[in-house]
Amino acid sequence: MKGIISICILVSLIPAAIYCQTKITGKVLDSKGSPLPGANIYIKGSYDGTTSKTDGTFSFKTNEKGDAILVASFVGYKKYENKITLKKVDLKIDIQLEEEITQMNAVVVSAGSFEASDEKKGVILRPLDVLTTGSTADLYTSLSTLPGAQKIGETEGLFVRGGSASEAKTIIDEMIVQKPFNSSVPDLPSRGRFSPMLFKGTVFSTGGYSAQYGQALSSALILKTQDMPTQTITAINLMVYGFGGSHTQLWDNTAVSVEGAYYNLNPYNKVFPQRVDWDKSTSSTSLSSNFRQKITENGLLKAFVSYSKSEVSLYLPDLDNLPNKTFYSLKPEDYYSNVSYRDILGDWNLFGGFSYSLDKDRINAAGNNIAQDQQLTQAKFTANKKISDNTYITFGAETQNTLYDDTYNQLNVKLNEIYTAGFVESDIYFTNDLAAKIGIRTEHSKVLDKFNLAPRISFAYRLGNYDQLNFAYGRFYQTPEKDFLIMYNKFNYENADHYIANYQYLGENQTFRIEFYYKQYHDLVKGTIYTYPILNVPVVPFSNDGAGYAKGIDVFWRDGKTFPNCDYWVSYSCLDTKREYSNYPTMAFPTFAAPHTLSIVFKRWFESITSFLAFTYIHASGRPYFNPNNPEFLGDRTDSYNNLSMNISYVARWFKSYSVIFFSVDNLLGFANVYGYRYSTDGKIRNPVLPPSLRSVFLGIFISIGEENQYQ
Amino acid sequence: MKNVLALLILVLSFTGILNAQDSKYVDAMKKNIAMMDSLRTMDNMKDLTNSFLRIANAEKDKWLPYYYASYLYVITSYSDTVKSKKDVYLDEADKAIKMADSLKPNESEIYVLQGMISQARMQEDPMNRYMIYLEKMNGNFNKALALDPTNPRPEYLMGMTTFYTPEQFGGGAEAAKPVFASSLKKFNEFIPKNELMPKWGKNSLEAFLKQNNLLQK
Repeated sequence: MKGIISICILVSLIPAAIYCQTKITGKVLDSKGSPLPGANIYIKGSYDGTTSKTDGTFSFKTNEKGDAILVASFVGYKKYENKITLKKVDLKIDIQLEEEITQMNAVVVSAGSFEASDEKKGVILRPLDVLTTGSTADLYTSLSTLPGAQKIGETEGLFVRGGSASEAKTIIDEMIVQKPFNSSVPDLPSRGRFSPMLFKGTVFSTGGYSAQYGQALSSALILKTQDMPTQTITAINLMVYGFGGSHTQLWDNTAVSVEGAYYNLNPYNKVFPQRVDWDKSTSSTSLSSNFRQKITENGLLKAFVSYSKSEVSLYLPDLDNLPNKTFYSLKPEDYYSNVSYRDILGDWNLFGGFSYSLDKDRINAAGNNIAQDQQLTQAKFTANKKISDNTYITFGAETQNTLYDDTYNQLNVKLNEIYTAGFVESDIYFTNDLAAKIGIRTEHSKVLDKFNLAPRISFAYRLGNYDQLNFAYGRFYQTPEKDFLIMYNKFNYENADHYIANYQYLGENQTFRIEFYYKQYHDLVKGTIYTYPILNVPVVPFSNDGAGYAKGIDVFWRDGKTFPNCDYWVSYSCLDTKREYSNYPTMAFPTFAAPHTLSIVFKRWFESITSFLAFTYIHASGRPYFNPNNPEFLGDRTDSYNNLSMNISYVARWFKSYSVIFFSVDNLLGFANVYGYRYSTDGKIRNPVLPPSLRSVFLGIFISIGEENQYQ
Repeated sequence: MKNVLALLILVLSFTGILNAQDSKYVDAMKKNIAMMDSLRTMDNMKDLTNSFLRIANAEKDKWLPYYYASYLYVITSYSDTVKSKKDVYLDEADKAIKMADSLKPNESEIYVLQGMISQARMQEDPMNRYMIYLEKMNGNFNKALALDPTNPRPEYLMGMTTFYTPEQFGGGAEAAKPVFASSLKKFNEFIPKNELMPKWGKNSLEAFLKQNNLLQK
């Protein structure tokens, strides 16, 4: 009987409930007291609630009774929960929502760096920009259109803000690449070894980079490889100087791709007039493979291996015995591998990686046989965790074991360097508008037998919806280059301090950035080593007594808004730098720096012919060169450098997939550029250092054959 | 005997409450779904999205409230003229559909919506985003079709992408025609599993076909 009674009570309560409505009214405000429209206000566990109006007010009725929880939620704000008691009496509750500090809402610390990514918001470049800038579809050529990078024609490398090529390091999936460029012959630059297509994200730091990386006094280029490919696809590439192909096979959680290419520049160099006396132009064979395995929901294993072999020989003018020439040949062989795993375990973001590379150069220079072998084995791990509402911490360690084995005719030198480093870095969001990245890195070198400690600090402060200020300070250490280490055993680290301040406006399709920097070099390595070009200056003894500075202004403007279908950017760098290092007898403006560099990139998309047209213009003021007849060391300057290049990419749809025909011309207007001069020992004869040809032309067809869309 | 009776009554009363609870859910959902046809302003949309989210929060095991909230976020992203805000809405759409997916794995309609989110992201910046999102979108739509070959919505949305893709890239009206036709046929035959299941798309497809003279005779 009791049951029946309880049912009766229950039933009698139901209609009663309908008349027991409570009205709740109020206003939703943010922490500054401004109304927040669109917030969701409701009684937890019930359907009763409403949305706040334009003036932040809300009003709703609920049938719930007794103790309840009032919730207010709004995107970008912390959820508000408050215990209330509902008993027929109308309630008036004003709600203040606190802004949620998340990495997504917060200002991004970006002093000193340019980022290209598809995934992130607020980046300056897209991966597509890399492929359509300049004339060579080379990552490093594209980067040289950004402010801070110098335009150097006679050798490969990134020359950043008065820094030499060895002060810039390339990092793939968190690990340093021993040899980012192909081997090159004197006064002729080589291309980057890795295709820009391999990477989904690029961060080009022209200074003040994170404590997660080291061993670069000036610049770090941080590359992240592609994750899982999205389709099974075959590609065939036909170029004026070679051909290649690749196949990617995709399964549920696994992907494998293989790629091969063969280049031979002999036919091309026979057709187009060359300033270089080639014996055999470059020919190369390369093979590479990528493997991706999804192991858990977020865990991805990546492996990349590559092998390449090439050959080139030429005759260099012997300025001391003209018209004699010296024979020079180069046969490099390179292996590279990189295996990494990334996963999220609970609150932890984890990364572990291993990389092995072996690079062998066989050189014949005027009858001397030179063999240079370099082997690098390295491992790195990092861990990242959110430790409080507004703080993230990242720490990690790495070790690199490098074996150098050089032979000059019968003379053999071996050197083993073991480098270990650890770092801790924290990202602190004081508010969504003020963030700091504070880190410290410590390194140990076996050869130097010394530790170092490098602090890095950067701040970002958001001024408005679209603009922000950034500041950075950091200390950067680098172990001297091998050529010095094998000559002398009392070296210390070289180091540099960076001070950077910038203002950045990141609007919709318009970007403006101005950055001021000051870089102070300490303990630069000095000493004469006899590598090309040999300068006729007094022999400098080995020491760490070198020093230098670089200061300047970098300006960047990009606009994809003003002209329909057009996108352009303008970079300008003003640089003042002096250094005393290597075989420099005094402080001097170095040969790899120009006081003014201007570059303009213009791109237009033609919908009707599905083609991309791009122009790149670069102007750089004259650079110093060594003239033994001038008592002032590096007192001479070349004429300024000018280059207008263009490229057209025609996008076609063949075999139900996209194909691209790429045509480019470098130095379209035929500017007579001179990179510098080489002098005979007596200083009476000089030879200009020139690009290998006045103009260069490239034509390539890139065909991809994918799976048919399955829906038809 | 008394005990048995009490137990019986207890059981009955519980099922009664459960039914009452369920009908409350169905009524609220039906009311909201009916309102979807008369959305006019951004405020309307936000209101209705919030209402679905309230139901989702109260009903811990129902995927449809999340599904509709996600759908409305996508629609809102198309309506907002501020470009930088579009991704914010789509992030919310993403969160909601992931909740739906965790409650009802392998649901064709959820894959349709995931495809729709990729489609919306791609349309914001096709030149730079097509490489990532085109494949994601097609993958989701194809999975939706594989899970339920009678679902007309994947082909409706795929047809739209084809229609707006330049002819040189295999798109255009002619290429889209057979896809739309197949979708329309399925719309005419489609019977939702229950009254709360998605049934959107038919009217807008017909209107679109009429407007562009694509109706096949």
